[in-house]
Amino acid sequence: MNELKGLARAAQIYLDPQQRARELKAEGKKIAGYLCCYPPVEIMTALGYVPIRILGDMNEPITEADAYLPTVMCAFYRSILDVAMKGRYDFLDAFIGAHACDGAERVSYIWRSYLKSPCSFYLDVPHSNHAAAIDFFKVQLNYLKDELEKTSGCNFSQEALREAVKLYNKQRSLVRSLYKLNRQDPPLVSGSEMLQVMVSIMCIPAEEGNSLLEEVIEEVSNRSAGPGQKKGRILIWGSLIDNIAMTKLIEDCGLNIVIDDTAIGTRSFWVDVDETSDPFEGLAVRYLDKIVCPRTFRDTKGTRSEDLDNRFKYLKIMAKEWNVNGVYFNIIRNCDIHGYEIPEVRDYFEDIGIPVLVIEQDYSTTALEPLRTRFQAFAENIG
Amino acid sequence: MFFAGIDIGSTITKVVVRNEKEIISTLIRPTGAEHRRMAHEAVLETLQKVNLGFEEVDYIIATGYGRINVPFADAQISEITCHMRGVNWIFPGVKTIIDVGGQDCKGIKVENGKMKNFIMNDKCAAGTGRFLEIIADTLGLALEDIGEISLRSKKPAEISKTCTIFAEQEILLRLSEGCAIEDILAGLHKALANRIYTMVGKIKIEKEVVLTGGGAKNQGLRKWLEEKIGYPVLVAEEPLLTGALGAAVLAQEKAGKMSDQDLAEMKKNRKLEAVTFFKEDSTSNPGA
Repeated sequence: MNELKGLARAAQIYLDPQQRARELKAEGKKIAGYLCCYPPVEIMTALGYVPIRILGDMNEPITEADAYLPTVMCAFYRSILDVAMKGRYDFLDAFIGAHACDGAERVSYIWRSYLKSPCSFYLDVPHSNHAAAIDFFKVQLNYLKDELEKTSGCNFSQEALREAVKLYNKQRSLVRSLYKLNRQDPPLVSGSEMLQVMVSIMCIPAEEGNSLLEEVIEEVSNRSAGPGQKKGRILIWGSLIDNIAMTKLIEDCGLNIVIDDTAIGTRSFWVDVDETSDPFEGLAVRYLDKIVCPRTFRDTKGTRSEDLDNRFKYLKIMAKEWNVNGVYFNIIRNCDIHGYEIPEVRDYFEDIGIPVLVIEQDYSTTALEPLRTRFQAFAENIG
Repeated sequence: MFFAGIDIGSTITKVVVRNEKEIISTLIRPTGAEHRRMAHEAVLETLQKVNLGFEEVDYIIATGYGRINVPFADAQISEITCHMRGVNWIFPGVKTIIDVGGQDCKGIKVENGKMKNFIMNDKCAAGTGRFLEIIADTLGLALEDIGEISLRSKKPAEISKTCTIFAEQEILLRLSEGCAIEDILAGLHKALANRIYTMVGKIKIEKEVVLTGGGAKNQGLRKWLEEKIGYPVLVAEEPLLTGALGAAVLAQEKAGKMSDQDLAEMKKNRKLEAVTFFKEDSTSNPGA
């Protein structure tokens, strides 16, 4: 089956993202599932674990999780707990939860109580990027290392961690190269293809992910027929999209998705880990300070416009370099952290003359159709 | 030249046929469950009123939630864009459009004839025509009459604005308390107006405000909305037709950008027929 390469291989992995991990498990590897962008994959890899990102499932109606979680909580995390309760992640050797947001925090604790992964660790991620918070986070990362070491069967070494940092920095650089191919018009990679690649590399070992990225970059650089030119070039901002039903709907309505700032996208890859003499220092700074997600509070700077510029300048740069003429805010219903940020990010984009479409969606493929009119009207308006 | 706009809404199908200058024929009829099979009939009927043949129409645009089921349309455009264009054609000074349709409610901001922003209710019937339909049904009154009746009230009842079903329960409670029908209706229209005002307020309501859709025909809703907004809103002679009108205006614009040859070629390939997704015999006669 694995003679498929590049985009075709990514499409195959995407259809059953956990399949490769289950295969590796059968070969005797240990698998660590983690929530969100915050648990460092380098630490898991250095201890011999294959890290995989835990995903929800927009196709699966939530039937189990609502007995454990309030329905006012983010539908993505409810879905994660739902598919986990139904056994999808029973094969994990380690579960790494994180206080990324309150949804992730709840799921982490309930997972520990009911799902009984052999190793279950809760990463306490501070909500600010102050020096003291980074020190605290560094200690937490050491606890993660200690806990994984107990169950991994191999001893921790600084050298292995440094190697892992290099390996993932290479992956980040490949991801950035792939996204750069979308600066041209028309872009070379569709939003749906990009999503399949992102989901894939988060669910297979880093070496395999890096080969896949190299194949995809070569394939799309030489392609004659890409996604083609549509009415508008958009940036997607928000928590995440992990199902191509969503990206396909957007693209069908006449929009090219050329760049994103989402967690199953650039947010997980955009910035490297500095190769510091104590690798935990570089990891703590990169994961807590350099990942820009509204779950981390940053000190308010000067006037409102200075503050917005301080927090969102990277978005302005993305919008300019990828030449976007519209931004879609993908808000999963009840995602407080992104919801609260809407007025700030919207004002910031509108001030630089880029129209914004905000949709609060239900994280369900059966609830997508009513959104078509909005995407279509947005495309007609910016096109 | 002739241009047609067909707006298949959740409740009502609207057709507008224009020449280069004016509307020459219109049609309004219920959509029903089988709109897939009747879009072509609706267009034909509209054309017959003015003795036009289907082949004489140069460009057809479909809009509304049923737009994907019009196989003979030359383009599909969202109802948001079409409403905006239709209203702007009638009222060039419009800045805010409030459209209260059968299953959704929209606010559209217009600036110099272009759409600046829009907002729609999501997945809830509160704030839509369905709310009024259910209320009329609960009270055993005709939908057309409830707006008028509400105007007689001197003391509107307090009704929550959150949910159609809860509002229905509140009606029953008020009835049992002996509250007059006109007061209940006034309270309901006020609640609906408040809900719409809050939603559209997110994109800032600016003068001139035009009210469209079935909701524009309801005097009660109009009154409470005007009270909330603080000045009169404008309503077209036939507020149901603005979407189809906008589609027909856009059809003229699109046709104008094509060469006569391309236009003739496009018309030649157009077939006036209904959409079928299934084998007819398997759906029309399930017992067979």
